[in-house]
Amino acid sequence: MFNALKKKLFGESNESKETAKSRLHFVLVQDRTGLTNEEMAGFREEMVKVIEKYFVIDKEGFDIKYHRLADTTTLLINSPVIVRRSTSGSSSKGARVTETEAENETDNETAAVASNV
Amino acid sequence: MNTRRDNAGKKDLGEVIVITSGKGGVGKTTTTASLGAALALRGQRVLVVDADIGLRNLDMMLGLENRIVFNVVDVAKKICKPAQAIIKSKKSNNLYLLPASQTDDKDVVDEAEIRYVLEQFRREFHYVLVDSPAGIEQGFRNACAGAESAIVVTTPEVSAIRDADRVVGLLSSKGIEAKLIINRIDFEMVRRGDMLSVRDVQDILGIEIIGVVERDDQIISAANCGEPVVYNQKSKAGQAFTRIAARVCGEQIPVPSFDTGSLWSRIGRKLGVNA
Repeated sequence: MFNALKKKLFGESNESKETAKSRLHFVLVQDRTGLTNEEMAGFREEMVKVIEKYFVIDKEGFDIKYHRLADTTTLLINSPVIVRRSTSGSSSKGARVTETEAENETDNETAAVASNV
Repeated sequence: MNTRRDNAGKKDLGEVIVITSGKGGVGKTTTTASLGAALALRGQRVLVVDADIGLRNLDMMLGLENRIVFNVVDVAKKICKPAQAIIKSKKSNNLYLLPASQTDDKDVVDEAEIRYVLEQFRREFHYVLVDSPAGIEQGFRNACAGAESAIVVTTPEVSAIRDADRVVGLLSSKGIEAKLIINRIDFEMVRRGDMLSVRDVQDILGIEIIGVVERDDQIISAANCGEPVVYNQKSKAGQAFTRIAARVCGEQIPVPSFDTGSLWSRIGRKLGVNA
């Protein structure tokens, strides 16, 4: 509410800094890893595959960051998990998870509710 | 007799700090001159070294351009004695300049020679600030030779930040710890969302910020007159460099950000109250 009031008082903005941030984020991962566009896309795709073996994830929210601290460099992979796949389950259980995943692709909220059941 | 360290607990040799950025025109030379002058005002003995061989400018920033006899290349090649090449600032007895050569090429000296030059002065000064040329080639490598730590200068713009990131990576591979100065920030634009904030830049680069300098017309007038901006304490940039000098000396002063952009801080700023 306060933000809305501020916008009213001081004018709307188009927030070009958000564009700057996402462009920098993109280019710095490439600069820091030294991976090409295609390699980066391939790495991302394979990571998603590996994680999806064990979890149903929100692919939209999947994000890779190459984070540098004072003396170490860390690869931060952020993957919102919707539901954990059952690993020891029977084949029927596995089928249910697949169902959940299918729902997930069409409607995130439905999938989230389904995971609670 | 050892009187050259006034702050107990520090080591005997002066600290060599390289001021660098990758991208040109972000304020390295202004930062070197201003920080050097600010440290000298605190009573520290400071030598500023212009490592931008072939394109010397630090002499202009300090108003010493017509006093140059010898330069860093002369010291490196042992053409003169080290003490003959340094020039005392007009404004301070604690601040000295070692100018660059204007006629030579960047690769006329190598890293070992620069290390030799810095060794000649480290006993005489508390701080040796080396102004690096833009780029990441030989000139940059020379400027980093002998440096124990680095100050990377950036502006809140995409190209400057990208280059700063590259330089931080290169410094880190040399084992040199880098701290960041964000120069020419405009808090009004940050509030509008049209400029990256201090927090944004910190998140992106992931290194410690040692200072934030607001965009300030006084920087240009100060450069016109060859007098570092810290002598004008009405100038916001001058105040910022004074705070940075204090942080370099180990004082814990929080870095102002105004990032929250709260209504009250905004009203405060409009009224001229600095948080």
